[in-house]
Amino acid sequence: MNESRKQILEMLAAGKINADEAERLIVALEPGNGSGAATANAGNGSKEPKARAKYLRVQVEADESTTGLKGGMTTVNVRVPMQLLRAGVRLASLIPQQAHDNLDHALSSHGVPLTLSQIKPENLEELIDHLDDLKVDVDGKDGNTTKVRVFCE
Amino acid sequence: MIPTLALVQVQNPHWRGFRCWVPLIMLWLPLLLLSPLILLVLLMACMVGRVNPLRAITTFWGILWSLPGTHVHVRSQENQVLVRIL
Repeated sequence: MNESRKQILEMLAAGKINADEAERLIVALEPGNGSGAATANAGNGSKEPKARAKYLRVQVEADESTTGLKGGMTTVNVRVPMQLLRAGVRLASLIPQQAHDNLDHALSSHGVPLTLSQIKPENLEELIDHLDDLKVDVDGKDGNTTKVRVFCE
Repeated sequence: MIPTLALVQVQNPHWRGFRCWVPLIMLWLPLLLLSPLILLVLLMACMVGRVNPLRAITTFWGILWSLPGTHVHVRSQENQVLVRIL
């Protein structure tokens, strides 16, 4: 067995990392991914393009203490096509120019130093493209079993 | 492609829930007939808001075109709501 992979599995068995982190580490060690890809692909002219994520998934599990609803867990599972996100961000381009100043002023007064006129559609496109690598895992603490997962698939 | 079918499912312990397939294509046909009026209203709104009407139309069309594949599932206690756009 690969020495690095063995170390990852030992860390998982010892509880130092969870299953998701172990999987990410193993994938990063595989040829064609992460730091191992540079030398592995040096002599290999072909490289499989990474499949782009098609959907953004948001999964929320909240217990009674979070929702205030009695009767058990509340779960929310939303799947949104990435194409819908791209189309949705273009709505920002429909904001009239005279409204930009009002919005910028309102944002800065609330401590958000953001200038809407400087945000270009290509910036938002690039942001959505990088959402492919987004993974958010939030687990509740101190008896709170609330979980939030955001990822692309 | 524009969404043609939607699945709506509601479950509730107090009354019999339902599950129905909504043929969205039946919505698009009347909208197509009303499209000249809708376009006129949209053009007037764009003129008032000083927005490029062509950009507005392409943006909303892009949103409509991207809706298929959207799933929303909410479950709380014994209640459940599911909406799928196909």
